[in-house]
Amino acid sequence: MPQNTGLLNVKRRNDVVVEKSTQQNTTEEALSERTGESELPLSFAGTSAILPSPEIRVFAQSNSSRDLRKAMVSDSIISASIPIASKEFGKKKRANRTAKLKQCKLDARREQWLSQVKNKCFKEDVTESGGDRHSMRSKIIHRFKNLEIRRSNEEENDISVHHDCDFESPANSPTSVGYDLGNNFVGSSSCSNSSSSFGGGGCCSGSVTEEEEGGGGGDDHCLDDWEAAADALAAITVDKQPQKHCTESSAERNVAVQLVNPIGSSNGGNVAKEKVGTTAVNNRAWKSDDAFRPRSLPNLSKQRCFPMTTMKHCVRVLNPTVSVPKSCPICCEDLDLTDSRFLPCSCGFRLCLFCHKRILEEDGRCPGCRKPYDSNPIRLARSCSMFSRT
Amino acid sequence: MNNASSSGRGGRSWPSTTSVSGSGKRIQKEMGELHLFPPADCSAGPIGDNLHHWIATIIGPPGTPYEGGIFFLDIRFPGDYPFKPPKVVFKTRIYHCNVDSSGTVNLDVLKDGWSPALTISKVLLAIRSIFLSPDPYNPQAPGIAHLYLVDKTKHDEIAAEWTLRFAR
Repeated sequence: MPQNTGLLNVKRRNDVVVEKSTQQNTTEEALSERTGESELPLSFAGTSAILPSPEIRVFAQSNSSRDLRKAMVSDSIISASIPIASKEFGKKKRANRTAKLKQCKLDARREQWLSQVKNKCFKEDVTESGGDRHSMRSKIIHRFKNLEIRRSNEEENDISVHHDCDFESPANSPTSVGYDLGNNFVGSSSCSNSSSSFGGGGCCSGSVTEEEEGGGGGDDHCLDDWEAAADALAAITVDKQPQKHCTESSAERNVAVQLVNPIGSSNGGNVAKEKVGTTAVNNRAWKSDDAFRPRSLPNLSKQRCFPMTTMKHCVRVLNPTVSVPKSCPICCEDLDLTDSRFLPCSCGFRLCLFCHKRILEEDGRCPGCRKPYDSNPIRLARSCSMFSRT
Repeated sequence: MNNASSSGRGGRSWPSTTSVSGSGKRIQKEMGELHLFPPADCSAGPIGDNLHHWIATIIGPPGTPYEGGIFFLDIRFPGDYPFKPPKVVFKTRIYHCNVDSSGTVNLDVLKDGWSPALTISKVLLAIRSIFLSPDPYNPQAPGIAHLYLVDKTKHDEIAAEWTLRFAR
């Protein structure tokens, strides 16, 4: 491509860029790179560094998810649709762009978080920068929990946005927005519809980390811890995916608490653990008639009942404790109700009536204990089975 | 072979305890269980399509003169199995006081001690146990039993030689 046309292109599109989405700047950078001019790329670099933040800030303050989604989608589509002749330059630029994007988003989230904290009168926690790490963490966790609860109504939108972004950007341009989203919204992208709790968690963890870094004097280990905790949280959320109660605020609080626990904050840890335990128990024990029970789980009633379904209820009520083999150990045919009530020997060896008759005709000894069968075998609850039939 | 374990499911089919079909189901189930939980040093399975004719192998247990030998057994299930015991015959020659030259095994569980609750897996384990501890007081080959009682070293030498000669 000749140089002057490239310049023209860049100039023309530069005007558009200022009006349009921020993300297009980066594509312009790629274009300008091809021209080889020194002035223009510099100026573009400046604009692209400045421009993204207002856009995202707008998103952050209005908290309207659709803007972000639009921006993301348009970004990925445009950046993918423009043909790039020199790929190595494009890659380098993309890396720069993702770094910038990440920085801008972190700023945006910080602002978003700050505005929410202002509303909630948690300002004093933010301004306090001293103190040891444990107290800092516990405070942050405290705030975090509150944020979680308050954001519970907005979660649904956010989730859909993050999910879309994560879904679409790798498809169109693998390196465009992937890193930032992927890092902070692992849980939201992997939990498609059921759990909305982690989207907020990941987002807030990002902002909280920023705050801690700024306030606590750039503690790098904290960032690592938070990232590790976010990973653990992602794993937890994936585990929780089959449970459909995650949209409730209580479940969210629990997730936040679970994030707290591995870090080891002292205050309220026990209570929180207990809470998590109880809810986990409550959520995981499915009743057989639960509407949310996954269909893939085995049918308990089917496993327990006998083939003659009309009598299974009676059997369960009358004889709930005695374990009866499902099939005759001799002929391997299923035991029916009469057979399962038939106890011919005191040793407890059960068999079907047909095999019992056959053995009586031959040597007449119990297969289990080899003692001769009594002439009058004990027929447990025979009358009961007759009764249930009428 | 896979449907053997699941064949017990399903609705109640009117059980026909007449010999063939009843024993067939039982033998199939035993085959599945042998596949899932094979007893130590033993393996068994039907020859071809005939469920009632099996071949089994027992590896001579270590510490015995039969160590390292592979002994083949021919198992025939009677039509009224499991009410009657299976017929087990050694196809590999073995110098053992409870096995005669034709391969017949003198084992209580294969005769009067049979119970319909026993399975072929338990029979194979019982046969393996006579490798470890022969019973010279209920001999099938009295000469070998005599030598076993009089000169066990000599008996073991001959048994090891037979194992080397016939069972490898």
